[in-house]
Amino acid sequence: MKASRLLLLLVVLVVVAGAAWWFLRPRPVVSDHLTVYYTKLDGNSLGTWTVSLRPPQPGESAAEHLHNVALYAAVQSIAGPPSEVSAIRFPPGTHVLNVLVNGSTATVDLSKDVAASAGGSFAENGEFKGLVYTLTGISPINAVQITIEGRKVETLPGGHLELDTPLHRSDW
Amino acid sequence: MNSTRRFIGRIGSAFALCTLLLCGSARAANLSYVFQNQTLMFTHIARTAAGSALGVDDPAFRSLLKSLGATLTWHPGERYVLISTPQPLVINFAVGSKSYDVGLLSANASFAPFLQGQEAFLPLDDLLHSLGLTSRSDGSVNVLQPQLTSVDIKGSGNQAVVVAHAAMPLHPRLAVNEPSRLVYVFDGVASSIDGIRQVNVGGIRLLKIISSGSVRRPSTTIEVDLAPNARHGAPRSNDGDFEVAFGGSGGAPPLVNANVAANPQPPSPSVAPAPVNPPAAGATVSAVTVTPSNGGETVTIAMSGNATYDWHRLRPPDNRFWIDIHGAQLEGGNKDEAQPDPLTSLRIRQNDAQTVRVALSLSGPKSISVSPSANGILINIGNTDAFDVAREGSGTVGNVVSANEPQPLITPVPADEYGQVSNESAWKFGPQSSYVPTNPRLIVLDPGHGGGDRGSVHDGMQEAVLTLDMARRVEALLIARGWQVKMTHNGDHDVHGTPRSKAEAEAMGYTSPDAFDLQARDDIANAAGARLFVSIHANAFMNSGPNGTTYYYYTPQSLPFAQEMEQDLDAADLGTKDDGVHKVKYYVVAHANMPAILIETAFLTNPFDRERLASSSWRQHIAEAIADGIDQYARAHPVGQAQ
Repeated sequence: MKASRLLLLLVVLVVVAGAAWWFLRPRPVVSDHLTVYYTKLDGNSLGTWTVSLRPPQPGESAAEHLHNVALYAAVQSIAGPPSEVSAIRFPPGTHVLNVLVNGSTATVDLSKDVAASAGGSFAENGEFKGLVYTLTGISPINAVQITIEGRKVETLPGGHLELDTPLHRSDW
Repeated sequence: MNSTRRFIGRIGSAFALCTLLLCGSARAANLSYVFQNQTLMFTHIARTAAGSALGVDDPAFRSLLKSLGATLTWHPGERYVLISTPQPLVINFAVGSKSYDVGLLSANASFAPFLQGQEAFLPLDDLLHSLGLTSRSDGSVNVLQPQLTSVDIKGSGNQAVVVAHAAMPLHPRLAVNEPSRLVYVFDGVASSIDGIRQVNVGGIRLLKIISSGSVRRPSTTIEVDLAPNARHGAPRSNDGDFEVAFGGSGGAPPLVNANVAANPQPPSPSVAPAPVNPPAAGATVSAVTVTPSNGGETVTIAMSGNATYDWHRLRPPDNRFWIDIHGAQLEGGNKDEAQPDPLTSLRIRQNDAQTVRVALSLSGPKSISVSPSANGILINIGNTDAFDVAREGSGTVGNVVSANEPQPLITPVPADEYGQVSNESAWKFGPQSSYVPTNPRLIVLDPGHGGGDRGSVHDGMQEAVLTLDMARRVEALLIARGWQVKMTHNGDHDVHGTPRSKAEAEAMGYTSPDAFDLQARDDIANAAGARLFVSIHANAFMNSGPNGTTYYYYTPQSLPFAQEMEQDLDAADLGTKDDGVHKVKYYVVAHANMPAILIETAFLTNPFDRERLASSSWRQHIAEAIADGIDQYARAHPVGQAQ
């Protein structure tokens, strides 16, 4: 009788431990929407719009899903908000070549079209502020490294914003 | 033997069939389309039971995207296929999912995209539809017709904007332009939204959308019937949008977008280089006379030729004043004279080979005004005391044309007693900083851009020219106040630091050894142990809307400096909008050891701001304000004391 009670207790403990592990296990936060940021024409304040996210597909690992979400976020941010919204936008033709997520840093590789801006710091600042805020809204990303055609650059040609180290929200 | 071959053949066929069924697709014949009179031959085609699929590596597909101004983000073997259109819309297909997104809308495709090898194949009809294209057959060929996807009317009452959308840039022609009717024709664009809409806003009565033409040459017409006295603005075509603003009678002139210049900009005056270096032609100071005037005195400096001047006065109780006339020679030799109240003494010197100095001692903090005249410079001294007054200023006499010769990077401190700074706090340092300058008298000025980097260029005006001009003016003013000044570059050339090899640069992930231009500017300031670093720029944007003066900093020790500079420049009444102080990781302010700020003085792309940038007097005005701010900040803050 005593042995059966012990056995029952053991089973309960195992079930409780298993349930605790299941609910508390580390896993990426899966959201059904993404907040995309853009910089308004005052050059400083941020606006947002929301797009829906795909849930993880069968066979899509957590790492692959994080990559896909970051890729989608970067593409949305570079494209900018709907046309009726007044926003600082990346130069036409700018597109995302790739996004790699390594730990908490996302590396966004952009096409060289990004260099074709008006030349002032105003647009450059607004463009990258929106991109960094968008990507760092995805857990666990908190830093964004920019590369142009696969290469690190000090800044954009004739630019101002430091791009050779990862950018954080705290850089603004 | 034959039976064995037949058996193997049947096994092979069965295997192929299984493969087809399992994969749901197979390579198929090419598909040909005509798009904008060009033939597109899709070769990466797979057939499924639900329809044709197109491989994203298909060269004709890539060509089609290019024609539409769209871009593709996808890597072999990856699940997401993302297409950005110029509208902008992001189209998102995912391998294994029938659901796809077009902007904020979701739809279900006829079948799910799949991988064949490493290449993603997308449902062709859904892909074309998402791109705003419709396939039509004229019996012999399939034609891809761009679609006018929507026409919106925004506004109410007396103002309205008509916006037509498509997945590609729209460039209609204005076929009819009458007071009561406008007709825009979109050649090559089809539409499935034909109809007539009663509007009655913004002077628009009716809007008609009519599609016509052939399969190969579709056409869509938008006809706008206007009320009497209705007006319309200039149309704007941008990416996939076409906009025209309308206004009813009595309304304001309609503009499509306040941020877009609808009217042609006035031509900008050319930028005169900085009159910092003495003019080559020079000037002659022939006489200095003092005459009574309204209880005060007027000092007349008679001179001929071209020159610049700057004047300074010390703070009470030291009531001395002096004016330096650059590029001038003194006739008749030096002179010292005692004068009646309120002017107690007058001293005239050939201060150096190119500068004539006229120094006055006053009986008190009297009001002083300095102005150029037809024959020289007038200094009016009032008989009333004035305490809250400007302590320096500058101007030009004649038509000043500067020499464009580089100056030494470090300029000497004036040895004259008037040039010495007597306030001890000038050698102390700013708040929230543990940085101790090895040369507390040194200010580093960084004219933005230069050499191969022209910065913003607009209407023939170049940022690199303007920033060098303004920095030279600030340099001259600071030197006159006793500061040493080092320019990161004092000619229109690139700034290069320690040479790095190509291999070293590439090992660091950079494209070339020339990628360290901005670090080189910081290296100059850091190596010199400067007290403050100020980078001077002119801003720009893709349209004429943004304007104003902006102050950027990055390190905490730079924030008070930026804030005080903002206050000083705002008080100087520059005429530009104050866009505030902002923290941004701009390279030159992030890597300077000392308090460092970057000032975007004004926008080259804004007509109001551009007029100021083009004016040498305005550039002198802002240079004086910057020099004032630097001078006051450096004097006011003690070294190393946290606040």
